[in-house]
Amino acid sequence: MMSTIDLTLKIWRQKNSDALGDFETYILRDISTDMSFLEMIDVLNEQLTREGKEPVAFDHDCREGICGACGAVVDGVAHGPDLETTLCQLHMRKFKSGDTIVIEPFRSIAFPIKKDLLVDRSALDRIIQAGGFVSVNTGGTVDGNSIPVSTETAELAMDAASCIGCGACVASCPNGAAMLFTGAKIAQLSLLPQGHPERKERARSMVTQMDKEGFGYCSNEKECELACPKGISIRNIARMNREFLKSFLLGE
Amino acid sequence: MWFLSFIKTSIGKKLVMATSGLLLLSFLAIHAFGNAAIYMGSKYFQIYADFLHGFPVLVLIFGFGLLLIFLAHVGVGLLLFFEKRKTSSRYDVETRVVENTFASRTMPYTGAWIFVFLIVHVFAFNFGKPEGVKVSMLVQQYFSGFFYSLFYIISFIALAIHLNHGFWSMLQTFGLNHPRYNKLISTLTVAVPLIFLVIFGGIPIYFMTGSAAGY
Ligand code: HEM
Ligand code: SF4
Ligand code: FES
Repeated sequence: MMSTIDLTLKIWRQKNSDALGDFETYILRDISTDMSFLEMIDVLNEQLTREGKEPVAFDHDCREGICGACGAVVDGVAHGPDLETTLCQLHMRKFKSGDTIVIEPFRSIAFPIKKDLLVDRSALDRIIQAGGFVSVNTGGTVDGNSIPVSTETAELAMDAASCIGCGACVASCPNGAAMLFTGAKIAQLSLLPQGHPERKERARSMVTQMDKEGFGYCSNEKECELACPKGISIRNIARMNREFLKSFLLGE
Repeated sequence: MWFLSFIKTSIGKKLVMATSGLLLLSFLAIHAFGNAAIYMGSKYFQIYADFLHGFPVLVLIFGFGLLLIFLAHVGVGLLLFFEKRKTSSRYDVETRVVENTFASRTMPYTGAWIFVFLIVHVFAFNFGKPEGVKVSMLVQQYFSGFFYSLFYIISFIALAIHLNHGFWSMLQTFGLNHPRYNKLISTLTVAVPLIFLVIFGGIPIYFMTGSAAGY
């Protein structure tokens, strides 16, 4: 049996990065509870288009929780009320008929709003460019398992590597910090032997870039950990702090 | 200068906070140990005080070092406080998933209270110390005043709240977060502030309640 709900949406509308934005209120009827949150916005956008109005701009791609493109702050929570769930995987059965839902973009000094719910998260890309990679010589392919790695370590690295770069940690952090994202990326590479040759430079240059982009500092509020759709642990931030200290004390 | 570029970074500032916090904590531990002599009576406390001031140069050097560490902690703390104000209340609906503790929310304010307390405290027992009065007697004199004692007790509560977030936060900043030790750390972040509260806060209560009759 399909059940449907009626909703009031308050959505942040902003023409472009220079314009002043404001909330607009919309009424949606007969939304199937089997829909995802993004499908619900699709329905709204069809309605708006039919009325000759500008549809709500938002980012999305895979719609299966693996690409990191989607994301908005729903009733004050990044990616909405469901734990370890991206916005595209959030379902309307989490809401009740008659609910008013407030939808805002991911806000941070380092994430300028492009339009409506669409924000520019390229600052995260520039942190990766600063050191979130390993340099590999071209030539014959190296044997896959030539350097043994213990299962525990491989699992920890995989946990860190599951970060999809969505930016929810930044959006939810009271300080607008990108520590969870940067910590996950640094941890992932520092755990594996392939990441070791560059690890001293890496922590320093990625953190320096992170600061340059305008992200805040960490006051250990743990909010990011629960907003993260991939359940990345703040243990990765501790690991980054160690890497950073080592790179400053012992690095060249 | 590597240290300058170090404290320019966000993590560097936090590490300054954590290191100065740890040093202040170590000082507090020694200070608590010494002051606990009060519970043994005025004679023993005076012996401790005289012993300590038998090394005037060392006391001076440590005092200056402590002042520097303290100023670093307060200075960087203020920087972080003003940076935080830039990012707060940016959403129309503010929801915290993790209820932020009273302690973490009030770090700058409990800190500011400790700051004021220390000015009063240092003035009372160091610079403003009346000539010719033994410190063991001075303690008794001060704490027989109700409001003076109350001010001390409130300040030690503020310190305990500060450390309730500060202790685990410091370890996390140093990179100490491991499933094997996290249970211990969450116990210590309550126990350590409580121990300080009992030892320090007990002193004014000791005099106020008259348990110090034989002091
Ligand atoms: C005996 C006195 C004090 C001790 C033992 C102490 C200890 C600590 C410790 C251990 C931390 C945690 C550091 C970290 O998060 O890595 C901390 C943080 C902090 N302290 Fe203190 N502190 C003292 C006095 C003060 C004073 C006087 C102030 C300010 C006027 C202050 C302001 C702060 C602030 C704002 C933080 C949090 C920084 C952040 O948000 O990350 N503290 N303190
Ligand atoms: S750490 Fe989590 S919340 Fe932050 S960018 Fe990665 S997946 Fe998103
Ligand atoms: S659209 Fe890819 S994670 Fe949501």
